[in-house]
Amino acid sequence: MSTIELASSFIEGAPPGELPDVVADVKALTSEEGDLIPSLAPAFERYNETQLTTVKLPGASQEVIVSEFNKLEGNRYFDVESQTSFEVDHVTQEASDAQSYVLESQNADLIKSLLKSLSAHATEHYPNCSYGVYPTENDSSVAILLVANRYSPNNFWNGRFRAIYTMPVSEPTTVTGKIHVDVHYYEDGNVALKTTKPISVSISSLSAETVISRIGAAERDYQETLNRAFVQMAEEAFKNLRRQLPITRQKVEWEKVGGYRLGQDISGGKGR
Amino acid sequence: MADAQFDSALDLLRRLNPRDTKRNLQAITTVVPDLTEDLLSSVDQPLEIRRCPKTKRDYLLCDYNRDGDSYRSPWSNEFDPPLDDGTVPSERVRKLEVAANEAFDVYRDLYYEGGVGSVYFWDLDDGFAGVILLKKGVTPGAKSSGEWDSIHVFEATDRARMSHYKLTSTVILHLSNGNETLGEMDLSGNMTRQVEVDLPVESDASHVANVGRLVEDMELKMRNLLQEVYFGKAKDVVGELRSLAPLSETNRDRAAQLEMIKSLQR
Repeated sequence: MSTIELASSFIEGAPPGELPDVVADVKALTSEEGDLIPSLAPAFERYNETQLTTVKLPGASQEVIVSEFNKLEGNRYFDVESQTSFEVDHVTQEASDAQSYVLESQNADLIKSLLKSLSAHATEHYPNCSYGVYPTENDSSVAILLVANRYSPNNFWNGRFRAIYTMPVSEPTTVTGKIHVDVHYYEDGNVALKTTKPISVSISSLSAETVISRIGAAERDYQETLNRAFVQMAEEAFKNLRRQLPITRQKVEWEKVGGYRLGQDISGGKGR
Repeated sequence: MADAQFDSALDLLRRLNPRDTKRNLQAITTVVPDLTEDLLSSVDQPLEIRRCPKTKRDYLLCDYNRDGDSYRSPWSNEFDPPLDDGTVPSERVRKLEVAANEAFDVYRDLYYEGGVGSVYFWDLDDGFAGVILLKKGVTPGAKSSGEWDSIHVFEATDRARMSHYKLTSTVILHLSNGNETLGEMDLSGNMTRQVEVDLPVESDASHVANVGRLVEDMELKMRNLLQEVYFGKAKDVVGELRSLAPLSETNRDRAAQLEMIKSLQR
């Protein structure tokens, strides 16, 4: 594999909130080859779109999502709620050149009511998140996206929750998609939680409230399942790997196990 | 530049998914071949198992029992594939190594109830050094698995009636689980801790007991730490990302609590 391919895999593997750190490492490791970063642009773009990177709109405080679903020509993306399109610098993750953007979709009303319900759902369960609803599949479906980030680099942890759903605009319909949770803890070590949960929910009516409430229920069920899985892993796999204490509840008597055999073995080193 | 690149390589490996350390290590050394030797000797990876042809016992492979493409079995003290001039410990240190292997075999059995262990010692100018390796894997379900690798590297420096021990311990713990309700869940990583201590030494047998107790205490500490990070911290962060309870309720409760505290202070 070429240096560009390898460096691209590093970029795309960056944990939540740590892309600038990974970029700095990649720069140092490839310093002999000149400035490699511009040639990694496609990797940055893939990273931003898959990770649902959020960018601040110029002059605004809210953060909006970058994804394959709200992509326009070139490096431009749009946000329905603020009726804005903007240009993204994929390397610096900054937005510029905001312009007014009017959504053209036969499902514009549905998208707006979904956004309203999604906003209420997001505020109730995600302390820090961005979301979006966009037309997709030639305007025959809608994509519903939510990303929640919490970065605490001073305490050596970062986390990201992503939910990506699509729903054909028909009655009845099925919301399908995936939830991904990534947590990174890196104080004197490197520990990563990575999960993927496929979601499929059948819904009889296209009422925005119903759709979002069913999605909310699926997300809640998943979080409860995940919480139980932590307990199960601790109780089963972890306990079976190494005991906290020997079955006798006594620590090893090292003088006996080491000294005894060493005494016997002092002349020969015969081993077993 | 080389030092800065080495630090960047370590930083990168500390950030990228710990499941992929082997692949990422290969990628880094492809980009900067000069770092290969230093990285291989300082980045811990899950241990590989080999069977000793002479004793038919399993042992673990690492950089410390490697000479060229051959590995030394702690049970036979011989290299596989065979080497005429492979580096082996001095007679005194090999004796200690044999004793330590026997002691840690008891330890492995008591704490791991299975798995594989190996101890390798080597001579230093003013003492000796060694590595204690322990590995165990479990598969409680079809898609559920766990793997534990302990790597304890120590140096014992001779002082009058005492020895100075410096221990660096790494535990690599991979856990994964999957089923229809859960989807796929992978919880993997490694943590490293160090300790330095002076301990009395009466005879060579004291070394085995001293190192044994150091490793036993360290593993207990690290097991507790791993438990806290893997099943406490990781779960807490998920709770920080998404709140099960509606935030308006949580905020209302908090406001009510504040109000009560205020009224009590009046």
